[in-house]
Amino acid sequence: MRKRTLQRGLTGFWWLTVAFLYLPLAVVVLFSFNASNSAASFSGLSLRWYRRLMGNEEILSAFANSMVLAITSSVIALAIGCLIGYGMYRHRHRKLGWLIVLIYLPIVLPDIVFGISEMAFFVQIHDWTGLLQPGLGTMIIAHVTFQIPFVALIVYSRFVGLDPTLFEAAKDLYATPVRRVVHFMLPTIKPALISAFFLSFTLSIDDFVISFFTSGPESATLPIYIWGAIKKGVSPEINAIAALMIGAVAVAATISLAFSRRRLT
Amino acid sequence: MSYTGVTPTARSRAMVREARHLLFTVAPGASWIIVFLVLPSAYLMGVAFMSNGPYGLPEMPLSLESFKRLAGFGFLGWSPGNLYTLIRSLWQTLISTGLVVLVAYPIAYYITTCRERWRPIMLLLVVVPSWTNQVIRTFGWMNLLAPGTPLSGLAESLGLIAPNMGLYPSNFAVTLGLVYNFLPFMVLPLYAAFEKLDTAQVEAAQDLYASPVRAFWHAVFPQTLPGLLAGIVLVAIPAFGMYVIPELLGGGKGMMLGNLVATQFSGGANWPLGAAGAILMLIATFVGLFAMRRIGKRLGGGEEVVI
Repeated sequence: MRKRTLQRGLTGFWWLTVAFLYLPLAVVVLFSFNASNSAASFSGLSLRWYRRLMGNEEILSAFANSMVLAITSSVIALAIGCLIGYGMYRHRHRKLGWLIVLIYLPIVLPDIVFGISEMAFFVQIHDWTGLLQPGLGTMIIAHVTFQIPFVALIVYSRFVGLDPTLFEAAKDLYATPVRRVVHFMLPTIKPALISAFFLSFTLSIDDFVISFFTSGPESATLPIYIWGAIKKGVSPEINAIAALMIGAVAVAATISLAFSRRRLT
Repeated sequence: MSYTGVTPTARSRAMVREARHLLFTVAPGASWIIVFLVLPSAYLMGVAFMSNGPYGLPEMPLSLESFKRLAGFGFLGWSPGNLYTLIRSLWQTLISTGLVVLVAYPIAYYITTCRERWRPIMLLLVVVPSWTNQVIRTFGWMNLLAPGTPLSGLAESLGLIAPNMGLYPSNFAVTLGLVYNFLPFMVLPLYAAFEKLDTAQVEAAQDLYASPVRAFWHAVFPQTLPGLLAGIVLVAIPAFGMYVIPELLGGGKGMMLGNLVATQFSGGANWPLGAAGAILMLIATFVGLFAMRRIGKRLGGGEEVVI
């Protein structure tokens, strides 16, 4: 009897928590369709904020910047992280403590320390050499730095999960190292590479703090644009652009749900 | 790997090849992180020990001025502003981590009691909001807590806030934002711990007529401790260095260490002071990680604790 009440209480608590988690997002989506200017009252449906977005050059260029940044940095991080992940696996019997520390450093470093030290460093280098002008380039460098560890760890754990005799078999099958990479290694770690790419992409799109500090005047991404708009004063237009980003996440969530379902059955 | 039965020269050649292989695979990534993260952090630490020059840029005579400034000593004598910020950061971290544990613990347990096919979906439901950008989520709370909204109206009628003030900007809003932001980070490791829970221990406790509270405390809680510790690391460390949430929800009186540091690199520029604050954050990070590792090792769950 007592157990039943406990379970019922927990069910209630669960739905309360879910409501808590989705309430702020729901409000943003709801008010993006608000006909009036007020952020406090809802007065009928309208698409005027979305229509206003369409003509906004700044938002379109911020969107383009976000995409270029996420895709370029993910590709670079995939190449570098994949190599280091394989190196960690192949030489795992060695003492690689320093490498592990190095890999975990970008993960544990607080965002703000990460962003500010890179910003200060880039500014100093720029002063001395004229290189590393703040802009998309410096942002890509910063993003690759925090993406490498995740790619490396995903690839590493994929290799660890493989049967070690497979490597011997591949050695017998394919004479040259290049063929071994093309015909054996890349196909076997393909799932790891795909999930590493998507994780890197998401990390890049999600990031605000590090982008904010390493960006230049022309390289605002969507989150940076939204941040600026909020600081200038809350306008209903922000709701519309934020709602679009929430929609993109909802689509991604549905896709990943479909994938996890398929894996279950 | 063994090279027995091979001549010494062949063995040394193989070793050279292995070393070259290690260099080729590891060097690009390792040097990337060293050049673009280790060096910049080292540079920032150096800046903390320099003097504050014009435009807030660091200048050469080495000094401990910035640490004095951080402790509140300025041109006009001592003022408690910076210390308040430090204490507020610690306090917000403690409170929000505690609240996150209180919410996440029953939630993680509840998910494990549900049917197996629902569990991944429930976890996804918890995690999905954190996929949206932090700025947007915080903006959602600004919408909810602004003056004139139902929540603010409720707080007003209960006499919790002055009329027409709204629930943000305030320290309360920052705590709420932190709890909201970090909840999934605690649910996931706790869920992993509950999933692996050895129920035989609980049954044994019940067979020995332990009260539910004692059964929980002696049979369940210790088993979830590694997950709990991992969650605390994942929540407390980033919470202490949080920038976005206090900046948007806190206002002037809700500033945390992250905002103090960031301000020194933009408007009220003083790089050395900002760098000194960053060092404090680094120390807190490593002390936190080290402490959790020690406790985790004593519990025997070494690898799980540091993710």
